[in-house]
Amino acid sequence: MTEHMSHESLMRYLDGEAAPEERARIDALVAESTELQRDLVLFRSMKNDLQSMTFGLARDRSVWGTVHRRITRPLGWILLSVGFLTWILYGSYLYIVSAIDAWEKLATSAIGLGILLLLGTVIYERRKEWLTDPYRNVYR
Amino acid sequence: MQPEVEREAVRMSKSGDARSYEPLVRAYEGPGLRLAVDMLGSVDEATDALQDAFIKVWESLHRFDITRPFGPWFFQILRNQCRDVIRSRQSRERHEVRDEQIEVRPAGSLSNPARIHERTEASAILWRALNRIADEHREILVLKELQGFRYSEIADILGIPEGTVASRLYHARDGLREALVSMNAEYP
Repeated sequence: MTEHMSHESLMRYLDGEAAPEERARIDALVAESTELQRDLVLFRSMKNDLQSMTFGLARDRSVWGTVHRRITRPLGWILLSVGFLTWILYGSYLYIVSAIDAWEKLATSAIGLGILLLLGTVIYERRKEWLTDPYRNVYR
Repeated sequence: MQPEVEREAVRMSKSGDARSYEPLVRAYEGPGLRLAVDMLGSVDEATDALQDAFIKVWESLHRFDITRPFGPWFFQILRNQCRDVIRSRQSRERHEVRDEQIEVRPAGSLSNPARIHERTEASAILWRALNRIADEHREILVLKELQGFRYSEIADILGIPEGTVASRLYHARDGLREALVSMNAEYP
């Protein structure tokens, strides 16, 4: 690049972002330099080809459906969890204050606790496995 | 989308109305996919990155200043998402994952078959050369030439001064020229 024109000026000139006085000054410099003229021809050609480039992209499917599902899913989980927890607590309260024998309550509670413990263990192991999975970022 | 309509859609989305987010997604998914494909070179990865970007935008809307234009902010998030995808490819060569099935062709209404063939060849050569330059150089060329943003908009999206935009564009174009030379490509 010449002493009188920086790379930045040349780019602004090429991209139509130069002020009128800067443009006039560069016009004069370009007229005098074959090197600049050669650079401009190449850069303009690249510019035109890049700008006119299109891809055979299928645009028949919007991503809105997936995005909508993903942004509304957390709300669904919250509502489901709150409702489920409320019913569990209320059911447990009714069960505790009911008039059935103590051994029946203990046996049923043991079954309930056993299921919860098994579920918790499975979730813990699956999470641990996922965290150490070297291929978890690979799209299948 | 009209700026007032867009601002209203952003305002409603900010208040948690998911239905108001739909017109924003539909307005930006086309240019967004184009940017992501240009940066990632794969339609599948670009679609995933686009969806993730829309989710991030939704989750960050409460921090968005409604007096600012939505577009540059969205593209900034999408661009960061694409960069994350590129980083996650660490163990793979970029050329391996770039989608060879993407059909590159010149736009417009050329009627001369020889001329169409010539420009299609030139576009394909440039697309391959784009894959060989640095990520930050490809990114700025994509924003300028393929997305048609002005320097001020690119500066907003990349978070750099306008002078740096011009300087980086020079290095990107120079890099593209060197890539063409290294490919022994006959261009233009």
